[in-house]
Amino acid sequence: MEEPRKEPQPAPSRHSAPATAEEAFHEYGPRVYSLARRMLGSDADAEDVTQDVLLQVIRKLPTFRGEAAFPTWLHRVTVNAALSHREKRARRQQREIHDPIDRLFENGSHQHPVRGWSVGPLDEALNHETHRLVEEAIADLPEHYRDVFVLADVEGLPNAEIAAMLGDSVSAVKNRLHRARVLVRHALAPHFEEAPAC
Amino acid sequence: MLTCRQLVELLVDFLDGELPDERRRLLEAHLALCQPCWAYLETYKVTIRMTRRLPDVPPPPELLEKLKAAMRDEGLAG
Repeated sequence: MEEPRKEPQPAPSRHSAPATAEEAFHEYGPRVYSLARRMLGSDADAEDVTQDVLLQVIRKLPTFRGEAAFPTWLHRVTVNAALSHREKRARRQQREIHDPIDRLFENGSHQHPVRGWSVGPLDEALNHETHRLVEEAIADLPEHYRDVFVLADVEGLPNAEIAAMLGDSVSAVKNRLHRARVLVRHALAPHFEEAPAC
Repeated sequence: MLTCRQLVELLVDFLDGELPDERRRLLEAHLALCQPCWAYLETYKVTIRMTRRLPDVPPPPELLEKLKAAMRDEGLAG
């Protein structure tokens, strides 16, 4: 039997006025909405989660003492809300996922030619088309891999923190992160590979 | 000597600097001789960098009105 997820509580406080809807929406909405959308792969579900989390922000922001603790709290609350939302939507199916690495190698060697990518630093940082391709590749990941990938590579959280959030071991997080990266790389490769040498 | 597949399985620890010295030396020896694995490593790193640079996506403006309505329902000032 799974234990109910415990909501982290912000540290007690001494100051600050309650946040207005506008403040919460503009200040924290993009962070919360982006994380929820990437984890859930659905705009509508991300909106529900964002509303839920922003209400918690409005209720609890005045009780926050240390500003440094707030981003961590916000991450945790958003991740918990997204996971709970998904559980409500449909019980997560524990199915066998084929190891993506199996189809890339044959007898231990690369099954297909591996070419470099023609992508410059500006393409990586600013190109809208690049962002769209990466977002699509993330949305196509199995949920099992997507959570870890979003938290590690988009949000930049340490593996140990992700393991604690998701109730997994660090080695399981690393394993899933690697497979997610392999899948995302595989999805992006056709768009960026250099032409084969003549 | 590592196989290409074994090398790819070590990339998370290698990039995090958590690979034991002996494994790291084996990996680097393989990379020096295997162009496909070198290209794989470089493109794996580009994948990570591209992902890190994704901008936040603003929620739709209608959500602000829903949030205000939810605040009113809960008796919160807004």
